[in-house]
Amino acid sequence: MTYDTQEFARVRSLMLLTAAAAWMLLLTEPRAMPMIVPCAATGAGPMPSSLPMLLSMNPPGLLAAGWALMLIAMMTPVLIEPVRYIRMRSFTHRRARAVLLFLGGYAAVWMATGVVLLGSAFAVEAFAPQSYLPAAGIVLVALVWQFTPIKQRCLNRCHALSGLAAFGTAADLSALRFGAIHGLWCAVSCSAMMLAPMLLPGGQLVAMATVSILIFSERLEQPAVPRWRWHGFGQVIRILVAQTRIRLQSRQIDPALSE
Amino acid sequence: MAQYTRANAWNHGGTFANTDLLWYAKGVGVLQTRKLSDPSSWWFLAAIHGEYVADKKFPGWKFLPAPPPVPVTPLATAKVWSLYKDQCQHQSWFFPPWHRGYLLALEAHVRAAVVQLGGPATWALPYWDYLGPANQNTIPPAFTQKKLPDGSPNPLYVVARYGPDGDSNIYIPTAAIVKQHPHDPDFAPGPVTDHCLSNDLFTGDDASTKPPGFGGPVTGFHHGGQTSGNLENNPHNLVHVYVGGSSPDQQTYGLMSDPGLAALDPIFYVHHANIDRMWAVWNKKHPNPTDPKWLNGPTAGGNRKFVMPMPDGSSWTYTPKQMADLGQLNYTYDNLPDPPAPAPVLAERLIKLGAATAAAKVKEGGTVVTDQNTELVGATEKALSLSRTGAAAAVRLDPGVRRKVVQSLTQAAESAAPDRVYLELENVRGTFDASVLSVYINLPDNAKPADHPELFAGSIALFGLSRASLQDDQHAGDGLSFVLDISKVVDTLHLSKSLDVDSLSVKLVPNREIPDHAQITVGRISIYRKG
Repeated sequence: MTYDTQEFARVRSLMLLTAAAAWMLLLTEPRAMPMIVPCAATGAGPMPSSLPMLLSMNPPGLLAAGWALMLIAMMTPVLIEPVRYIRMRSFTHRRARAVLLFLGGYAAVWMATGVVLLGSAFAVEAFAPQSYLPAAGIVLVALVWQFTPIKQRCLNRCHALSGLAAFGTAADLSALRFGAIHGLWCAVSCSAMMLAPMLLPGGQLVAMATVSILIFSERLEQPAVPRWRWHGFGQVIRILVAQTRIRLQSRQIDPALSE
Repeated sequence: MAQYTRANAWNHGGTFANTDLLWYAKGVGVLQTRKLSDPSSWWFLAAIHGEYVADKKFPGWKFLPAPPPVPVTPLATAKVWSLYKDQCQHQSWFFPPWHRGYLLALEAHVRAAVVQLGGPATWALPYWDYLGPANQNTIPPAFTQKKLPDGSPNPLYVVARYGPDGDSNIYIPTAAIVKQHPHDPDFAPGPVTDHCLSNDLFTGDDASTKPPGFGGPVTGFHHGGQTSGNLENNPHNLVHVYVGGSSPDQQTYGLMSDPGLAALDPIFYVHHANIDRMWAVWNKKHPNPTDPKWLNGPTAGGNRKFVMPMPDGSSWTYTPKQMADLGQLNYTYDNLPDPPAPAPVLAERLIKLGAATAAAKVKEGGTVVTDQNTELVGATEKALSLSRTGAAAAVRLDPGVRRKVVQSLTQAAESAAPDRVYLELENVRGTFDASVLSVYINLPDNAKPADHPELFAGSIALFGLSRASLQDDQHAGDGLSFVLDISKVVDTLHLSKSLDVDSLSVKLVPNREIPDHAQITVGRISIYRKG
């Protein structure tokens, strides 16, 4: 139904805790990251023949698990609103199932996207090992992408919340479809910047965190008419500044709050 | 004593003998001579609410009938234009404070023009109390005259103001007036009311306040504002659509029917002065939010600030906190009665449900009960398209949740209040804003809606529908949603043994025939319980 602050708070807490747990795992176990481990052969320069060795050193199963963990860390915060929406519009006994189906649809699209992005990372590691150049190239593409009206169009679609059936198979399919469509627009919107950390020879975790904040920030912007404009950290910075100012003002009015 | 007093537009019969109206007309006339690019022009000030300056077809400003002759050039610089335009706050708890500041700014511009013309420095906007006595439900005559007393064109006169019947007879269908205007039995003009004044919560819901509350839903970091607040829904939205209406051929609609056109019509500000007065009346007994997220406005969520151009060329930035007290703004109204006490809804329901002893013990007007959960009871199984005469649909009920509702009504007591039950029209989309829909539950086939007030759930106006339906705009194409409190209707159904069934029928009855091009759809009709 209409906005429910308690339900929003519940979902937000759960999702943020989940994201925090994933980040902790990535911080404490760097091997969990979906990064291509270079082999000694590629360290000497471009060498297509090193591809089998690269594959043996980077088992697809491990990479897929790492990719999934990275998605949980980076994307869970931006799914708070759709998950809240699904829960409120589903029968109580179907809420968990509907949310799981939504997440399943969303994850399926992103896992498929992961195949493409990780494949690209493999190719880059094989042909331009340990080079910052490919990462710089994709960052440039991502920066231009951030300006385009198409980016705004994707963000608008990421805000769309509708079309849930309530009963039976139709409800299951609509939750799955909602997740897949949401994931599709999310992937189109964010793929370029998601690829950048994977192409870096070093500092991947910092890059991932930066991209994660960027995605969170642009998702906090309101839907808008598509035009050329920058989508960066502005929204999250504005919120932080405003909230800091409000808290400082509150403490000036009520010194008890500062104790 | 406040410096500025807003008085009833119907003083002196609502004619130009009312000098507030005469000076308003003259001031508007001055503003209308200015260019669109001038932030002090009528056109620029209207665009602050909403605009379709660049649109290539109706409702593009270029395609509006004159008078007034609405310009689409020259535009202000991109920086000035983007700073001010399209600010209006709807489906949000910022609805009352943003519009209060907007009125103050518009009034300052008109007053400056009035003073320039030799008028009073204390001039203030009049208000149109369409819920007032006698014939005040009709538009003050000063707005329908083509000429001012001196024979010059009347800037308050607007062609695209069609009224509830599309014949340019502008009246507001209050409950009493609806009875006086027998309509085709296929249609049902939903009455404009001041029931929202009985609410006791600005945001939230309880026995006296249906969601999302008097002032509107929380909006901020998230963009969930699809549902109008209770003041905004009725009377605000309904009055907009009834005044604007649609053209006789229904190909277009009146200025007041669409947020992107509405502020071009001088009646807009007189209507909003009354909405602002109702907020002031409500505030006599009920507080505004104290949440910093409301007090500081959308900037607390990183969003646009409220900003208005002022007559001296400056920009005035304001927050809801600054708008919360009319007295501090040096303003008052000539009539600020106490609001009605919160309706004893729960006691009435308990009596109706046969728990009279419990009803006597009930203390009405409590605060939000925080441990209550909202739960889906049932929903339609597919989207609904409205035809010329509206639509009907079956809302299928989940047997388990339905039993909870029935049990709650059967065992109602002061310690176990009966469930509150809400009907929601979700994701309403379309291209035509000028419709009012009245909603009925289990209306028998071929029955005349007016004969069944006990099955009447409420009325909604589709003000803002077309814009909310655009995928690439502020609503991301989600459309509008509407919440109606159907607890009393559900009580009636329960007592007549008509509730413990597989589905309930919902009928949407428009106030006028809906044109084919309107393409109005309802994504889902849902029923929720709270208890």
